Amino acid sequence: MIKRFAVILLLLGIGAIFTGLMVNYVPDKALNVTARYYAEQTAPDLGAANIVTAIIVTYRGLDTLGEVTVLFLTAAIVGLVLARGSSDEAPARRDLPPPGELLLTGTRLLLPLILLFGAYVFTHGHLTPGGGFQGGAIIASGMLLMLLSHPLRRFGHRLIAIVESIAGLAFVGIGVLGIALAGGFLDNRILPLGTFGELFSAGAIPIIYTFVGLKVGAEFSSMLVNLSETEDL
Amino acid sequence: MDLIAMATGFLLILIGLFGALTNRNILRMIVAFAVANTGVNLVLVSVGYMTGRTAPILDSAVPVAEATARVIDPVPQALVLTAIVIGVGVTALMLAYAYRLFKTRGTLDISRYTDLKW
Amino acid sequence: MVSPIFIIAGSLGGAFLLGLLRDPWRGASYVISLLVLTFTTWLAGSWLWALSSGAVTPVEILTAGTQPPFAVNLRLGIAEAAMVLLINLTGLLSALYLKDTLFKQGRRAMAVLLIFSMALSGIVMTRDLFNLFVFFELTVISTGGLILLSRDPRALAAGFKYLVASQVVSILMLVGIIFAYHATGSLNLDDMAAASAALLRGGALAFFLVFIAVVAELKVFPANGWALDIYESAHPAFSALVSAAAGSASLVAIDKLLQIGGPAWMDVASIIGIVSFVGANLFALAQRVDRRLLGYSSVAQIGLILFVVGQQDILGERYLFVAGGVLLAHAVGKAGLFWLSGLVAGRDLTAWSALRGNPLLLFAFASFLALLIGLPPFPGFYAKWELVHAIAAHDHLLELALLLFGALVEAGYLYRWFGYAIKREIDHEPIAPSLYKRAVVCVAVLAGWLLAYVWGELSPHDNLLHAVPVLFALAFLALEWLPARVKNALAIAGLLGWFAFSYPAYDPLQLIFALIVLAGGALILLASFHSDGRRLGFYPSAMLMYAGLAMLIVAEDSFNFFAAWESLTIGSYFLILRGRQSEPHALSYLVFSLGGAFLILAGFALAAQGNVQFLLVSLAEVAEPLAPWVFALLAVGFMTKTAAIGLHIWLPGAHAEAETDVSPMVSGILLKAGLFGLFMLLMTMGRQELYGVDLAHVMMWIGALSALLGNLMAAFQEDAKRLLAYSSIGQMGYALFGLAMMNHLGWLMALMFVINHYIYKSMLFLSVGGVAKRTGTRAMYQMGGLITLMPLSFIAVLIGIIAMSGVPPLSGFGGRWIFYNAIMTSEYRLPMILIFVSGPIAFLYLFRLIHSIFLGQLKDEHRRVKEAPFWLVLPQMIYVVCLLVFALAPGLALRRVDAYISNFLPQGALSWEGLTITSEFGYWSPVSIMLIVGVIFVVIFAWLLFVNRRAQKVKQFNIVFAAERPYRPETTHYAWNFYAPYKKALGFLAWPVFERFWAAVTDLLHTLAELLRRIYTGNGQVYAIHLLAFVVVVYLLKEGL
Repeated sequence: MIKRFAVILLLLGIGAIFTGLMVNYVPDKALNVTARYYAEQTAPDLGAANIVTAIIVTYRGLDTLGEVTVLFLTAAIVGLVLARGSSDEAPARRDLPPPGELLLTGTRLLLPLILLFGAYVFTHGHLTPGGGFQGGAIIASGMLLMLLSHPLRRFGHRLIAIVESIAGLAFVGIGVLGIALAGGFLDNRILPLGTFGELFSAGAIPIIYTFVGLKVGAEFSSMLVNLSETEDL
Repeated sequence: MDLIAMATGFLLILIGLFGALTNRNILRMIVAFAVANTGVNLVLVSVGYMTGRTAPILDSAVPVAEATARVIDPVPQALVLTAIVIGVGVTALMLAYAYRLFKTRGTLDISRYTDLKW
Repeated sequence: MVSPIFIIAGSLGGAFLLGLLRDPWRGASYVISLLVLTFTTWLAGSWLWALSSGAVTPVEILTAGTQPPFAVNLRLGIAEAAMVLLINLTGLLSALYLKDTLFKQGRRAMAVLLIFSMALSGIVMTRDLFNLFVFFELTVISTGGLILLSRDPRALAAGFKYLVASQVVSILMLVGIIFAYHATGSLNLDDMAAASAALLRGGALAFFLVFIAVVAELKVFPANGWALDIYESAHPAFSALVSAAAGSASLVAIDKLLQIGGPAWMDVASIIGIVSFVGANLFALAQRVDRRLLGYSSVAQIGLILFVVGQQDILGERYLFVAGGVLLAHAVGKAGLFWLSGLVAGRDLTAWSALRGNPLLLFAFASFLALLIGLPPFPGFYAKWELVHAIAAHDHLLELALLLFGALVEAGYLYRWFGYAIKREIDHEPIAPSLYKRAVVCVAVLAGWLLAYVWGELSPHDNLLHAVPVLFALAFLALEWLPARVKNALAIAGLLGWFAFSYPAYDPLQLIFALIVLAGGALILLASFHSDGRRLGFYPSAMLMYAGLAMLIVAEDSFNFFAAWESLTIGSYFLILRGRQSEPHALSYLVFSLGGAFLILAGFALAAQGNVQFLLVSLAEVAEPLAPWVFALLAVGFMTKTAAIGLHIWLPGAHAEAETDVSPMVSGILLKAGLFGLFMLLMTMGRQELYGVDLAHVMMWIGALSALLGNLMAAFQEDAKRLLAYSSIGQMGYALFGLAMMNHLGWLMALMFVINHYIYKSMLFLSVGGVAKRTGTRAMYQMGGLITLMPLSFIAVLIGIIAMSGVPPLSGFGGRWIFYNAIMTSEYRLPMILIFVSGPIAFLYLFRLIHSIFLGQLKDEHRRVKEAPFWLVLPQMIYVVCLLVFALAPGLALRRVDAYISNFLPQGALSWEGLTITSEFGYWSPVSIMLIVGVIFVVIFAWLLFVNRRAQKVKQFNIVFAAERPYRPETTHYAWNFYAPYKKALGFLAWPVFERFWAAVTDLLHTLAELLRRIYTGNGQVYAIHLLAFVVVVYLLKEGL
């Protein structure tokens, strides 16, 4: 009870800080320097229609590399945590009710579409809302569907790991190419910018986002697979 | 009224923190943190929002020349994506931990894991 | 040069590459990890080298080919390069250390390790606020993974608690970042610093949130329960990384933020830092588990560095030197200790006694502790010197006091631990045999000494590692394999050689002290020929003490003086610790000595007013409101060393429990360091008045009380060495009294005591030590009648007590004579009476020495006792000769000094004509006195022999054999509680008031620590609540200020 009271009291304090932030908050009337630069320069400099994508993949590419690494790390650690101590005990098989016709058929029908849609989302990240993370998440949702329909099936960790690693290496490699061929690490102008608004434009952005999509898809899948394999309780 | 999204975000953060600090069940704590993270993300995007403007994607509707006057601040949009991904990563990690903790001790009550103290 | 971006790209590439390998290819994965870490380490190292040699300028690393603030940029200056090198080197060494564990856990764990060090490097280099957040989150998540390397099942819960806390931190940080962006329109740290005024006005709360989040990442006290749990349960190699590498990275981050926050927030950082330093050190007092103790110590050290970071505005261009010195010393020391803890099987502090079998590791342990505490010659010493001077110059006196208090507590618990390692029973498993783990520890030791050298070079002072005496002492570390006798000969040659070498440069006062320290030290070392074997650890410690003493005498500025002072303190601590029962006494010695040393440091710092190079003679020029305080601080510091009453409680145990040849060193020689300091102080500062009280007068009272009470306590001792130890308190009281009289004869007498006390105390300790060695006891009532079996020892004691008691004809009388002349010239009557009274009391205890040990009846068990060993007797006989010569011709030594003192106090010099010395009250003719006393002695002796020819001998334990058997047979012995009547009358004066006072102080600290540390309940939610409470409290305080 004392704890609850203390928490409320403290949250009141934090709430006061938040209120202070809001009271002092004056919405911008015009874009600030940074945003204005992006609005004006993205198209001529990077050739990407989606400014957010240009920021994510190029201007703040280092953040994105970190972000991809977060997922890589999480996937690796989830693997470590779940593998810890359970390596010697054989997973206890149990009988599950069959997944049902609806789910099985639905999966068969939807899976290719989901994968295709995911690929579309990450290859068009520089043109439309979406991108590697969104596409990767969509692909992983396909994986989730597979896991739901075939709960006892064991997936190839190896394939997932290879996709994940190659995509990661490619991302870093493209970034390094930026130093050699363009203005710096992760510069997308190692390829011609192409025609604004087309699929093959914006330099390396679609390529990077493709790899990000593959990587994110693989990492989410790996986490899902790892978590699903723990269901041996 | 401009601030309603932001206020909601802050409220979600507080609710999330309250839940995370008063529920002793580890899974509930994780869910509560997810709520708080959502609140943070909401605050993030609300800061970049400008009334009457559109998404920062240049196409026939928003030509390059008019972009400065027509689009909202793209930076928070980019940041929130990163924040979301990181949040997902941490949540997944916490879930994996919760699983292992449960396997070792058979309980999800955080107040039972006090072997290390003082 | 290869671009530093490859530190990040390389690690990431390596981590992703590991994913490609098959799980069973552990060896290949491990090799790749090591290669990557070696590459990043090399890269950081090459940049550091190039930057520090001036070959390149600090480099901006742009990404995306776009200028900041529109794209993320990184920067590598010299500080960043050093930090990145530290991080990657620690990572590499920890990876080596973790070989077995990594092989077991596989490539995923290796990838996580690579990313961890990459993320820390990123934190150091990035100039973008949000990028900083991303790297922080990467460290959080990889920490979550690396905790699992531990075999401790509790680590899992610790990891979860950590994740809970870091969730709270990241929520605060993100909210802060977005509002800071809104306030400045940029995420670039340099832009934000440029717009800092706008940010701090409109977005002060935003900055606060970011700031407090990064501060929380530093694991500051008291919002750090989760961190302590991690330190305790994680794999030691990972704890090393967290403490050394992650802590350093977070400190760089807070430094970057303070460029935005400016002076107002630097103050907040300082306060948090110093509270953390004191609080965590206090809590550490109650710890019994080694790794948790190290955790508390890490928190404290990082708090200290945070304090330094907050003081950067007053440190100015020395900021990097100070912060770097403290930080690197902490990083190397703490990482080293964590790595070392992986070799020790038990987790209790006493389990570290297992190290005792391995001198190399013990040396590593000692080096790491010295690094942490900031003892010379390590970087922390130079850094703290400048830090203390800077804050003293800016009148931050409260901070100064807290800083020194925290450092003292830290030294206390760390050296208590060292004492356990040296003295406790080895009943634990031996240390792990792993060779590469030991190699990692050795690399850390090398790094520590290398840093010591580098910091010595960077400092404006002389490099302590260039000082010949220190090098000579260190050389004995390399010679430890030699037999003790060879080393002893080398040591004696070294002392004498250094004396001969420096002889021409000494002024008369220095000469007297040098004679005692160097020639006298060599003389005592003759007794050490008695020991055979290798006597590991003795010579480095002893020579370190002598080195400190030798450097103290010739020190010209305050820095060298203080460095010498700390060296001799540490050397003598190791020396005293060698005694069989000396563990608690050595600790109390060290704590008092360091406490005194810190007072001296504070005194010098106040006097210097920010000038880090301060000549001792300039003490004379310190201006009025400050001068008496400086005087008081220095005087109390020096009086701690001379064991003035109130500060004396360390002395009896330390001197009595030391080894036979160590007791004379620490009593006969070491105590003189305090007197030398007092001489120096009085010569430069003269009389000072504080609130109308003459401080010299106060010192005189302290001297008189020390003399009286020291002698009285000595009279009530049963233990012969303790008796001698207490008598030193009294003797030093005389000397202090003489000095405080501030007249010519008083000083001359103090010098006379310096010489006399050295001779007879060394002699008595040697002879009593020899007796104790032969009889196996130090309790006097268990001895008796040894006069026939140990005649040479008897002669030494007889001569010694005659000299000491100040009766004619020996040199003690000379001292007394000058002394009485001196007090006749002084106007203070009451302390004079005390001094007079303490004279007869000295007779009481001296009489016991001769009576209870050598006279009376021989005990049955001692019938076959032999004379003390030759090497113990030889120096005693030399001392006898010295005493006689000095008694006959005191002018040999004193005449020149008398003239020298006239430079300072011209009034009242003595006249030295032939063999007679004349003062204004009378004359003293040593030779004729000797003759007269000799005749009287012979006559009375003959008469006594004649009268007592039919004396009947009485059995000692009459009651025991007559009837009942008493519960404590010794109570029936006539020599037990010898002075019972006096004890009844005067015993109240010898009540252990001061012992109780200091015991109460330490008890209070321990109880506080024991009670307060219970706030760390172990519940992860409570830890998160602490964190929120910390945020709210800092917010309220900052608003209130």
